[in-house]
Amino acid sequence: MANLTSSLLTAAGALDAYSEALSVVQNNVANASTPDYASQSISLDPLEFNPTGGYPGGVMAGKIVSSRNEYAEQAVQQQTTLLGQAQQDVNSLTTMQSVFDVTGSSGISAAFNNLFSAFSAWGQTPDSPVAQQNVIAQATSVATAFQQTATGLATVAQNTGLQLQSTVSEVNQIATQLAGYNQQIMNGDRNDPALDAQIHSTLDQLSNDGSISATQQSDGTWTVLLNGQTPLVIESQVYALSAGTVPPSPTAANPTAPPHLSLLAADGSDITADTASGQLGSLLNLANNVLPGYLGDANQPGSLNTLAQSFASNVNNLLTSGYQSSGPPPVAGVPLFTYDTTNATNVAQSLQVSSTITPAQLAAISPGPPEVSNGVPLALSQLANPVSANDEINGLSYTQYYAGMASNIGTSLDNANTNVQTQQAAVAQAQNVRQQLSGVSLDEEATILLQFQQAYEASSKLINILDQLTEDTIDMLPTAT
Amino acid sequence: MEAARGAERLATARSEVHRACELLIASSPDALNDCSEALQRAAAILREFRADIREYPQGPDARPLALQLKSDVLRAGRLMERLAVFYRGWERILGAMSGGYTSNGAPAAVDRQGRICCRG
Repeated sequence: MANLTSSLLTAAGALDAYSEALSVVQNNVANASTPDYASQSISLDPLEFNPTGGYPGGVMAGKIVSSRNEYAEQAVQQQTTLLGQAQQDVNSLTTMQSVFDVTGSSGISAAFNNLFSAFSAWGQTPDSPVAQQNVIAQATSVATAFQQTATGLATVAQNTGLQLQSTVSEVNQIATQLAGYNQQIMNGDRNDPALDAQIHSTLDQLSNDGSISATQQSDGTWTVLLNGQTPLVIESQVYALSAGTVPPSPTAANPTAPPHLSLLAADGSDITADTASGQLGSLLNLANNVLPGYLGDANQPGSLNTLAQSFASNVNNLLTSGYQSSGPPPVAGVPLFTYDTTNATNVAQSLQVSSTITPAQLAAISPGPPEVSNGVPLALSQLANPVSANDEINGLSYTQYYAGMASNIGTSLDNANTNVQTQQAAVAQAQNVRQQLSGVSLDEEATILLQFQQAYEASSKLINILDQLTEDTIDMLPTAT
Repeated sequence: MEAARGAERLATARSEVHRACELLIASSPDALNDCSEALQRAAAILREFRADIREYPQGPDARPLALQLKSDVLRAGRLMERLAVFYRGWERILGAMSGGYTSNGAPAAVDRQGRICCRG
């Protein structure tokens, strides 16, 4: 009877174990299409077999093991962070590029060309009121083009600030979601595979915004850090980020320059410098490095203001050094442009043609000796193709300098587009690796590593050879005329 | 080699490098072996193209194609590097998991002795 009972117990125990195993399989099937779901397996542990001692043997259900490989998960998150950064770079640079006209048919470039033509025409007929009026009209167009470009870039800066706030809100919202999942784990849902899938899908989503590291604690909850050190989620607690601004110091070179954007941790510490990747990193880089390169900040005037200031002051110097009439007494010229001389970061925005100047006040006579009746307009028209270093910025004419600014954005945008393509491939690659590592034994994995090592050595040599071959081929091919 | 034939060769080399990129994304060891073969074919095509350039100079249209090829090769290189970084890290983790740490604190090397894995 005892044997019959123990046999029945063995059978019942085995049925329980298989029932549990079946529920794991059912879970796997039910969640087959759940994003970020990792299949689970269950071990069947043998029970002691000793009939005389009352141990009937059989099996019992062991621990449920997830096939999720956290190292592979991290690799997907890292690549997703880089993709988020590249995509944000493309969006921001596309908007910036629209502010600059690269074709030269409108904007600053076209306005420069029209003004140089007007100077040249005035040089041919220095006393012509029509030619003088045209100079003033074209100078107004140059000033307007500078203002529009500065306003366009300032709008990009303003939108970047709004976007940063929106991304920070998104991060905080996702962090709240994760804290909720942690609460569910603390309430006893630790082994729920659907919850595990939701957590990983949410972590993937969060990694688009910034570089995160997620670690599972011994109680099953997830601790999520930004940049490896700033807490976002610990147990059911959210550590919310906030976006702010940092105005220039009163002792800075440009104390009235636009402020920098900052990212603050929950304890108020500034984590801007640590946040270099993801969408957050891209937005902070655009606001604090790229845009100030054009519009200026506490320590630099910005290339757009440098160009406006250099051009306007050069034109004004040439005009004020000339005479409207030889006299006697000679009547000196007056400046054509006015701008904010108290704030180096506001020159382009404030550039305009003097409201008091009349066409007749444009000084055409260069005093010499010898005095030249059209010396000033000739010198002004030569600004298009400068012969003196005083008429250049960093060895470039004004038109070339502007073209350089526009082409820098174009080049950066091209690179960002290439990065997006590469990162999309890298995310797909990391997702495939994650898929392959799911449920693979250590022995199998060691073999895969060996195979990979051999394939890598062969392929990396070939890539080096191909790179060199392509480089040499490019050098041998003619450039487009 | 006419200009059209030259462009065709560059396009074929590009499609081989594209194939290599797809295989690198798939990233299984078998796919990586095929990747080496695709890269080898691309290198062979490029060598032929270069050998013929002196005899049959190409027009300016060939240069943009070669620049695109260069960009594709760079992408393949980046994908290969990312995979290598991943597997190097994974090898260290596996070493620590299977053999612990050495006396200087580095993860042990992965022990592969006597292991056979049959696939297929």
